[in-house]
Amino acid sequence: MTPTDPPPLSLRDLQLQLMRMIVAPTGVAEAIAEEPALAANGLGAIVRGDDRLSARERVEIYANAYFYRLLDVLKEDYPLTFTALGSDRFHNLITSYLLEFPPTEPSIFFAGRHLADFLRTYPAAVERPWLPELAGFERAMLEAFHAADATPLDASALRSTPPAEWPGWSMRLAPAVRLLMGDWAVHETAGPNPAVILPDPPRSTPAAIAIWRRDGDVLFRGLEPPEAAGLARAAGAQGARFEEICAAVAAKIANPGDAVESINRMLARWLADGLLIELDR
Amino acid sequence: MERAEFPFLGYGAGLRRPHYAEVAGGRPRMDWFEIVSENFMVAGGPALKTLERVRANYPVVMHGVSLSIGSTDPLDRDYLRQLAELARRIEPAWISDHLCWTGAAGRNLHDLMPMPFTEETVAYTAGRLRTAQDILGRRIAIENVSSYLTYTASSMAEWEFVAAVADAADCAILLDINNIYVNAFNHRFDPYAYVDAIPRERVVQFHLAGHSDYGTYLLDSHDHPICDGVWELFDYAVGRFGEASTLIEWDDRIPPFATLAAAADESRSRARAVLSRRVRSRAEGATR
Ligand SMILES: [Fe+2]
Repeated sequence: MTPTDPPPLSLRDLQLQLMRMIVAPTGVAEAIAEEPALAANGLGAIVRGDDRLSARERVEIYANAYFYRLLDVLKEDYPLTFTALGSDRFHNLITSYLLEFPPTEPSIFFAGRHLADFLRTYPAAVERPWLPELAGFERAMLEAFHAADATPLDASALRSTPPAEWPGWSMRLAPAVRLLMGDWAVHETAGPNPAVILPDPPRSTPAAIAIWRRDGDVLFRGLEPPEAAGLARAAGAQGARFEEICAAVAAKIANPGDAVESINRMLARWLADGLLIELDR
Repeated sequence: MERAEFPFLGYGAGLRRPHYAEVAGGRPRMDWFEIVSENFMVAGGPALKTLERVRANYPVVMHGVSLSIGSTDPLDRDYLRQLAELARRIEPAWISDHLCWTGAAGRNLHDLMPMPFTEETVAYTAGRLRTAQDILGRRIAIENVSSYLTYTASSMAEWEFVAAVADAADCAILLDINNIYVNAFNHRFDPYAYVDAIPRERVVQFHLAGHSDYGTYLLDSHDHPICDGVWELFDYAVGRFGEASTLIEWDDRIPPFATLAAAADESRSRARAVLSRRVRSRAEGATR
């Protein structure tokens, strides 16, 4: 090394500099201008160009690959959000999103996990206040698809349990079940998984949605308040005793005389759909 | 290095989502499959079930993309734990990843970034490979990556770097023939000289794939059939390394399964042709 050579860049600095250029939302050229060391010595200090492609163009290949790979994955993960916004607005959304929530996990599956949260403060969502709930619905479907397997309670388990033990029976939602409570009927804008439909914006109405998985398919439906209250009671690792779930349902039923029949009907459906698992008795 | 750790599996293809049902349900003819490990690092669901069904009928190799062995971040122990957990579950023939870095400062670029080729990075990367192999309790295979840039700091050729890291880490090499071809164009070197410089005893697997030609560079897009130049380089590699487990990669614009099966068959017949020519020329040499 001659005295005039710049000191060799550490591998750490090299990786951090290159990474900053690759993820820069305004492009590699502007990112170079913002790096004091590179602005002084040029990008040639770390990457070589040639007559085919300059050093900047070579870094741009990586910058484009980074953004478009993630854009493609997020388009696939959020087909309704993409349809609702259109190509250009979705592109801009993802540009901003990746700045605030860059991928940190080994699997690209996690890249979009904060999108619904991000949308809560995103300008394009001001005219479309239902967007965060729509994205949350799509995320929940994806999570349900990859959630842990479990053996659900079914009708035979019920039959083999003496009725006297039912009140104290502890149960909770199966790991693949997601309950969403919101202000928009976003599920009404979706076709059966995985088809996409979004003819009109979702209706503005208090909405509860159950999402679950059966035989590898992710399914969903809207819930009336009594059923939503019952399932919400069974959410969480602790779950609830059956009598607590019944009480939560009954509290939302206007005519107390209807409670028993409603609960029976709901329970039959929960068991058929595999929404509940048993906790240790 | 014990070759028995990497048995010859034949001619296989990457297991991709559009073919899950066909492969898990129909048991189509294919010697073996390679999976992208990260796609199965999930709690449960249909993807894992598919994998377990495929594994019941075929050998499977776990090919990762996020080991980030050349990163200056600490090795991701949690990732290695998940990898080991998946390996316990499906008992792969072996585990492989890439000779690259995929992120730093806790971020993942989800891309295979090339390393600067220097003595320091050889030592650094090989040290981390040894640690990763210790944690996983097995030797792994490391793949040469395609690249679009050369670092000013590099002081050796790519093939010297690959060979030196594998030797220092005492790991196996998964030689991607298409990546050599792509890099030979992008960085103007002789792909045959590259093959010649890779240590014979370390190569346990080949990758074959298609790429896209952008005029000023070739992009390793895995969305095309394998081109003639890559097939010819494959023939040459088989001549040097002998028959090794061979795998067709196709990740974008994925064709019907039959197209993958045809490509796997072609790799088999080409390899057999090379080997029989070699045997014949030896026999002729003996009678002369
Ligand atoms: Fe490869």
